[in-house]
Amino acid sequence: MSAYLISMATFVGFFMILALALNLQWGMTGMVNFGIAGFYALGAYTSGLLSVKLGWPVGITIAMSCVTGLIAGGLVALLSMRLREDYLAIVTLGFGEIVRLIALNEDQITEGPRGLKIDARPFADMFDRETYPLVYLGLVALAVAVVFVIVECIRRSPMGRTLRAIREDDVVAEVLGKNVLRHRIQVFALGGAFMGLAGALYAHYVQNISPEVFMPMVAIFIWMSVIVGGAGNNWGLLLGAGVVMTILEGSRFMGDFIDFLDAEQLSAIRIIVIGVLLIAILRVRPRGLIPEPKFSFAAASTDQERQPSIENAK
Amino acid sequence: MSGQLIINGIVNASLIAPPAIAFSLLFGILRFPNFAIGAYVTVGAFIAYALNVGAGMPLWVAGLGAMAGTAVVVWLSDVLVFKPMRGHTPVTLLVVSIALALIIEHVIRLFYGADVRGFDLPLERPIKFAGMRITGEQIDIIIMTIVIGIAIHLLLQYTRIGKAMRATADNEVLAEVRGINTSYVIAFTWLVCGALFGLTGVFAGLDLVIEPLVGWYLTIPIFAAAILGGIGSPYGAMLGSLLVGLAEELTVLVLPSSYKIGVGFVIIAVLLLIRPHGLLGQPEIKK
Repeated sequence: MSAYLISMATFVGFFMILALALNLQWGMTGMVNFGIAGFYALGAYTSGLLSVKLGWPVGITIAMSCVTGLIAGGLVALLSMRLREDYLAIVTLGFGEIVRLIALNEDQITEGPRGLKIDARPFADMFDRETYPLVYLGLVALAVAVVFVIVECIRRSPMGRTLRAIREDDVVAEVLGKNVLRHRIQVFALGGAFMGLAGALYAHYVQNISPEVFMPMVAIFIWMSVIVGGAGNNWGLLLGAGVVMTILEGSRFMGDFIDFLDAEQLSAIRIIVIGVLLIAILRVRPRGLIPEPKFSFAAASTDQERQPSIENAK
Repeated sequence: MSGQLIINGIVNASLIAPPAIAFSLLFGILRFPNFAIGAYVTVGAFIAYALNVGAGMPLWVAGLGAMAGTAVVVWLSDVLVFKPMRGHTPVTLLVVSIALALIIEHVIRLFYGADVRGFDLPLERPIKFAGMRITGEQIDIIIMTIVIGIAIHLLLQYTRIGKAMRATADNEVLAEVRGINTSYVIAFTWLVCGALFGLTGVFAGLDLVIEPLVGWYLTIPIFAAAILGGIGSPYGAMLGSLLVGLAEELTVLVLPSSYKIGVGFVIIAVLLLIRPHGLLGQPEIKK
């Protein structure tokens, strides 16, 4: 049981990194990203392929995952120059699907649906099999802490205020002399790097990655984490990631009590519960369980009620 | 070879056009991309399947039933989910629509599982000419899509309710001031669009397969068609469907067919960069 808890906590860690990255991009800067699964997959495959095919040491491959995430994020952000936020949603979703399609179809390189086996693990020879999961959890926790500190520092810095200004009204930010495009690209690239990091850590943890893990569904879980926790608030989404994972994993145990449903139906019910909760939270507490402090997102968005088309034109 | 691809492309376009028109009409009043459209199509496919295979009705009766049933489901999704949330930001509504799509898809999974199904139809030999083949069902789909296109045109252009729909999409407040009962018009729009999604479900069941994800595979081509044509413009949606339908099939000439789903995305990305308001759309007012 404790092995199970350790593994669950490790997965919560991956979720937290992804959620912190999304919070930087969307919660703080207002840039929609539904391609989270794509960045996650990119990180996982970059590190996995470099270590399997080229035999690079794990530390370097994980760093390379951050770099590819950074570059991909920067390129996708360039699209935001002319895109309304809801179109950016479609384009980022497309980015994610294309990454997945490439991983699925170029199977001479990625092993496609058979899954890529990755033997290399960081510090694997220094610990025995019993303690290693705990060590890995510590490593993931360290990564979460580092990402958290970076994102939180940005949030409190003058740059954080600029980002919020861009989120609330990019035209005003532009008029105030802020380079909106440069900030957007920086933030999206940095978020992409964090997602790449999460992907790399995931790849070396499960040691077998296949494209079906990186479905658009991942993005929904992360959005759910950020929305439940409260967009713009880094503490809240740590809670949010925990809540979402608990619902996802906790409902596995329902099977022990309800024996008239098969596994397929239980997993369907799990997703239905997630969906209903997401809608309910957005309706009842649109700012999340722990709303962003001081800056009122709701107050700023009520102005947009009547003329969204004009308000959102970029 | 390429003649066959063009036929496939036209069939594909006929499949995308009705939901693209519906998506465009809905965007006119909602002002956010509704990601649940694929799930609506799936609902149509499964209602038709239940009536056709489950209850043994002929397919045309099942198809009408699917249109009516889907219209009600789609309208209910507005009453229960979207209506109470009018005025929220487009991104919030977009997330809600994705959650709704997940719920619908998995409710279907709960009852029908993930198996691939098909309608109960006699097998027909495809019609062959000049080395190309097309099935009778595909011809039906093309003809019905053309009829639908003309019907929507007449509805929007010449009927009272159609004019009210255009007025509401253009400026809801102004329409309200001019004495149009906009909440009635919006409900009517949802019902019409729901019927179109239901019909698409039947088409999808005929030309593709019936499974919980069938609508999801159509979602991106539908978006691409509507955006390509200029979002909010039903005629643009028809043109956009034709272009996307052909583009998807013709890529098979240069890329493996497994990349077909990516084509829609690439079209969207390129187009949004070059001409964000689409081929036939009006540029939006900038502040």
